[in-house]
Amino acid sequence: MRAIRGFNWVASLLLAGAWACQPALPAPATSAHEPVDVDSAAPSASSPAPGAAAPQEDPKRAASWGALAQLPDWDGSWNPNITDQNAQIKSNPVPWNVNAALEVARLGELEKAGHPKGLFVNCLPEGMPAWMLITHNALEFLCSPGRVTILGESDGNRIRRIYTDGRAHPQDPDLSFHGHSIGHWENDTLVVDTVAVLPQTFLAVSEAVGLPNDGDLHVVERFHLVEPDILADDLEIEAPHLLSRPWKTQRRYFRQRSHKFDVVEGVCQQGFFSPQVDADGHHVFVPVPQTEDGNPVPSATPGRAQPAPANPTAKRAQK
Amino acid sequence: MTRWLQKIFVAVLTFASLTLLEADSVAHHSFAMFDFTKAISFKGSVKEFLWTNPHVILWFSVDPAKEGDPRPVWWAELTSPGNLTRVGWSKHSFKANEPIEIEIHPLRDGSQGGAFKQAKRLETGEVLTSNLRDAERPGLH
Repeated sequence: MRAIRGFNWVASLLLAGAWACQPALPAPATSAHEPVDVDSAAPSASSPAPGAAAPQEDPKRAASWGALAQLPDWDGSWNPNITDQNAQIKSNPVPWNVNAALEVARLGELEKAGHPKGLFVNCLPEGMPAWMLITHNALEFLCSPGRVTILGESDGNRIRRIYTDGRAHPQDPDLSFHGHSIGHWENDTLVVDTVAVLPQTFLAVSEAVGLPNDGDLHVVERFHLVEPDILADDLEIEAPHLLSRPWKTQRRYFRQRSHKFDVVEGVCQQGFFSPQVDADGHHVFVPVPQTEDGNPVPSATPGRAQPAPANPTAKRAQK
Repeated sequence: MTRWLQKIFVAVLTFASLTLLEADSVAHHSFAMFDFTKAISFKGSVKEFLWTNPHVILWFSVDPAKEGDPRPVWWAELTSPGNLTRVGWSKHSFKANEPIEIEIHPLRDGSQGGAFKQAKRLETGEVLTSNLRDAERPGLH
């Protein structure tokens, strides 16, 4: 992020409208007949007064975007080091409390015995802290004024919004899979504090073994480069209903800058469907019969291998 | 014992080490459904290569008479398209109907599927594997 790759800051200003994290812009003028977006039309403390400089000319806004160039370079896509994940679990095991340890041991035995259920077969987000602990998929960092956004691959619901604009956590936050995160920079380290995580999200050591955090989860992370292309996430996890003490652990990610390794879109639930062509000639997704373990049933092999019979009255056929 | 069953063999590595090596072949599943202590191989042809999240699926057909198993259609599950791209795959890695020799870690319940281990494209001789640990380093091109 030392330089937003491919852009200078002027270009960034021009493109800023595409960023969800941009400072509030003045509402566009609307006619009496145009629909009004009540959110954007609402008065905003940060909106310039009538007659103030246009956003593109706002020196404070320009400075806030320009300041991003001083942040450490975390461009590219970051891939979890899975070998290190496994090593961390073994060398620095989770300090489960007595009850949790019994449950985890039972889950481990079930896994060894072939218990097929996984924690994430339902495609709900891994959430915090499981995403950071056990992901096998790449992620990327987007820096914008007052915010760092982490986007994860493999499913579009892997998103963390980390507010670095000095705000505090809400007094009564809505709980979510990734919680509410605030952060600040200590030199080249991003320090992130996360609360308000749903009690159902897992503290997991694998995709088969983990327990719901059961509430009051608090995670403090320090993201920093340990080598030019190796990023560390030092986590301290407080899960008072599961752990006998806070758990400090680290996860590492290695960087790819080649565009062919860019993070790509993924939709977990797409795996529940088969692309087929319906009787009207439309390309549609059709549910694939699956076992309760999430495995496809071979008798329902993909639609392109078994296309639906043509309908002579189909719209496409009439063309 | 059928020829198919004769193809089952116990791997040299322990279950734990195999799990460590192969666990990344799937992303949202528990790996317990696959028996990583076993591998079975087939000669057959690609029925469909489904390049989709969260798991790429390779459907393949086999000749029941030759394989000694009455079930003609099988599947092999892989990791995500993004992860496979980083170990050199693309949506064109297999094409429909091409002959392959494939090895999978079978489902424990005996149904016709498994975790992909490796496959050889018989027309080209190319052998494809999918172990993400083969690419755990930065700066790939």
